[in-house]
Amino acid sequence: MPSYAEPSPSHSHSASHSPERRRVTPPSRSSNSAVSNYDSAAEHQHSPSRPRSQANSRSRSRSNSSHSRSRSRSRSRSQAGSDFHSDRPNGNGSYYSRRRTRSSRSGSRSSDSRSSSRSQSRAPTRTPSPASSDGARSVNSNDIRAAEAELLAAETAAEQGPPPRPFRAYRLKATLRGHKRGVACARFSPDGKWIASCGADASVRIWEVGSGKCIHVLMGHLAGVSTVSWAPEGGLLASGGDDKVIRLWNAITGEPYPVPLVGHHNYVYSIAFSPKGNMLVSGSYDEAVFLWDVRGARVMRSLPAHSDPVGGVDFIHDGTMVASCSSDGLTRVWDTSTGQCLRTLVHEDNAAVTSVRFSPNGKYILAWTLDSSVRLWNYVDGRCLKTYQGHKNAKYSLGGGFGTYSDGKQAFVVSGSEDGGIWLWDVTSKNVLQRIETAHEGVVLDIDAREGLLVSCGLDGCVRVWEVEGDEQEGEESDSKRALLDEDAMDVDAKI
Amino acid sequence: MNNALIDPFILSQDYPETLTGKLKSGRATCIRFNRKGDYLASGRFDGTIVVFDMETNGIAHKLRGHVRQIQSLSWSRDGRYLLSSSQDWKCILWDLKDGSQIRTVKFEAPVYIAELHPSNHFLFVAALFEDQPALVDISEVKPYIQRLPSAPKRGTAYMDEQDEKQTAQDAKQATSITIFTSTGDHIIAGTNKGWLNLIETKTCKTIYSTKLCNGVLVYLRLTLSGRDMVSNSSDRIVRTIHVPDLSKSDLDPDSITIEVEHKFQDVVNRLSWNHVAFSCTGEYVSASTYMNHDIYVWERNQGSLVKILEGPKEELGVIEWHPSRPFVAACGIDTGRIYLWSIIAPQRWSALAPDFVEVEENVEYVEREDEFDIHPIEEIRKRQLDREDEVVDALIIEHKKDEDEADAFRMPVLLDIDDSESEDEIVAIGPGTMRRKSPGEGRDMGAGEKATARSRKR
Repeated sequence: MPSYAEPSPSHSHSASHSPERRRVTPPSRSSNSAVSNYDSAAEHQHSPSRPRSQANSRSRSRSNSSHSRSRSRSRSRSQAGSDFHSDRPNGNGSYYSRRRTRSSRSGSRSSDSRSSSRSQSRAPTRTPSPASSDGARSVNSNDIRAAEAELLAAETAAEQGPPPRPFRAYRLKATLRGHKRGVACARFSPDGKWIASCGADASVRIWEVGSGKCIHVLMGHLAGVSTVSWAPEGGLLASGGDDKVIRLWNAITGEPYPVPLVGHHNYVYSIAFSPKGNMLVSGSYDEAVFLWDVRGARVMRSLPAHSDPVGGVDFIHDGTMVASCSSDGLTRVWDTSTGQCLRTLVHEDNAAVTSVRFSPNGKYILAWTLDSSVRLWNYVDGRCLKTYQGHKNAKYSLGGGFGTYSDGKQAFVVSGSEDGGIWLWDVTSKNVLQRIETAHEGVVLDIDAREGLLVSCGLDGCVRVWEVEGDEQEGEESDSKRALLDEDAMDVDAKI
Repeated sequence: MNNALIDPFILSQDYPETLTGKLKSGRATCIRFNRKGDYLASGRFDGTIVVFDMETNGIAHKLRGHVRQIQSLSWSRDGRYLLSSSQDWKCILWDLKDGSQIRTVKFEAPVYIAELHPSNHFLFVAALFEDQPALVDISEVKPYIQRLPSAPKRGTAYMDEQDEKQTAQDAKQATSITIFTSTGDHIIAGTNKGWLNLIETKTCKTIYSTKLCNGVLVYLRLTLSGRDMVSNSSDRIVRTIHVPDLSKSDLDPDSITIEVEHKFQDVVNRLSWNHVAFSCTGEYVSASTYMNHDIYVWERNQGSLVKILEGPKEELGVIEWHPSRPFVAACGIDTGRIYLWSIIAPQRWSALAPDFVEVEENVEYVEREDEFDIHPIEEIRKRQLDREDEVVDALIIEHKKDEDEADAFRMPVLLDIDDSESEDEIVAIGPGTMRRKSPGEGRDMGAGEKATARSRKR
């Protein structure tokens, strides 16, 4: 039995042989759920008092997204930057264009030989991934197929191994409005009670997850804010932006700490706290990675990191290493205590790397590249283990992360997409667990996951919170589509 | 988690090589690492305790409460509590969660050294100046102090002979150092006559004594495992001693033997040692030298000298070895700076690009058969994606038991430590003229200190 979802008619035919599959595969059903899924999202986007017809909202969102795309801005951070620094050397479009070709480094020849020699021996055992990823790519335009793939994926994910509970889909819980421009980054606080978001309107906002209220608006940055990071304790929040400064805030009181971290020569792109909260790593447009002593507000170490703007940085869970990535196509791992480079990862295509995250256990690195891929690396061996594809990512530096399902035993990778969607892949099988079609109008820039919740933010200025279905009792809405969606979810549940 | 990527030759290096850093906050007189080794507590001449974060080399905490030089520091196992003893006759137990003083114990004499029980942070043992050592239970606010004997226990037959003379001699015994064994069931005490007493914590009775040397036993320190002990004494010999297994329930005190394993000394120069320390594994012994700038490192297998650490231009007092790394800290006696020795690993340039390899000799490149074969890109991609069939576990963290315990407490990060009350002893008294601050200047008793520091700042 194939262990993946192939969204082609032939597959549904083959699936009908197995009794478990038949229950979920009827195309009419799945197309229905796709529509309903889509619809519920669309309804939430607009205030409940103004219900829109499905076609209407879809066309609107499309026009919006195309509009924002036509502005050719690379993520809201640089939008803000361009407003304040009109004398920027590179146009936004050219920023991510690859400046040099590293033919010497991109070992395409070696990979050729490897692939030919190895794949022969392994070819028969391995059908799953290409089809799923290729299939996912081809269904971009086709809602019905996507939904089918999604359902199948959920089903197959449930079939593999003996997980106690299958993947349960996320649905919209709340839309947090307040940012006046695109939102670049949104993060859950360590205790899960708060969300910090920041955007091109130079503000940082603290939201309460439970009520969806905006608790604080932290003003102080002089330009767009690209990144926020929570310290592990004490409600300490750091934000970095296009004014080259990293600011520290007490998120509980909303007060800023008086001494900002000053030292970068250009826009601060990405920051991350160490697990103890005593250090902060920052990556900047000035191509450097700085390690900061948070207590003393001083640069502890400057890492001669990259030859292009640094896109993302992250700390490993035990604080011994730091990862950084850049649009020069390199992902580097650094030793925190010595400041030395320990490993460099390059994919042979040498696509610009825009965002990087360590896995929760620190064994792998997840890297977003501008060839519409998210790659999982084993950084010890320097091997790319998985490629997650399907979403669209060619211009903006999208973010995402790891999440868990089936009682925290299984992991998924979540990422935004430039067509307004959110994608969730199973880490091992690379299957698409869920695809939220229109999560935002326009690009979804960043996503953070935490125990049954997702928070996403995008160029449309919204922050959206998503929760796992069936976790809470139904709210006020009881329309037929919602009911139908729930039935689907239950169906999957009942099968196990 | 970075060990997998670090040069194994660097990892196998056991002792530090070069002076790599300095820490400076006032005049440090004693230092101590916590069990995990990420914080270094330093007691200052003016009674302030400064906790350094060894990851950032910044100050994590400042604790004010003593008004005289700090004599000793002792961490609790989880790194949350710190016991300090001082020449102002006090011992204070600090809670590093909020920097508060949980207990203050006032003795009738200056304290030589105080050490916390390894598992119970409300119990400590202190050696006092010209007084009997004390076992102090501070679980209640009012401390319960038990006096410990200093007189060594002698065999009964031996005792009968010269009873009077013995008692007279024993009365002169004073305990100069007390430490707990690794379980905390026994206390090892050293006296000014060179005797080593083994005292049971429960009963406060000496169960075994042996004469180690003729001089004063100045310092004792156990390895992390508690199996070995190193002693410093005024006879200019550093001794390593096997600690017998005392955990048996039916322990017969007469069967205990404590033997000296190695004696380290400088026969030529007749150096005497200021302070001694074990390495993290206990394989090496290091000592700072009196009237000299060096630190001597011996290894214990053969008992040979392996390294003399040089660097600062001053005599070094207390030295302390990091609990898990080849990393030594020592404080200078004159300036009170803390010097750090460690290993400088060169950047491995093979880390800078995935296809760089470090080779010993030139290797002739052999082209592979299919190296320049051209395949359609799509096909290659597809094959690559095909190959990605590994089962990946991104979630489960492998923990060591030890680490869990040490991780239980996390020190809060304070953003408002005033570092400005200035650590320098050099004060400007006019244009171009500087003078050294006299010790204790600008320091009133206790609470007045902060106020003067502020006014000086203005």
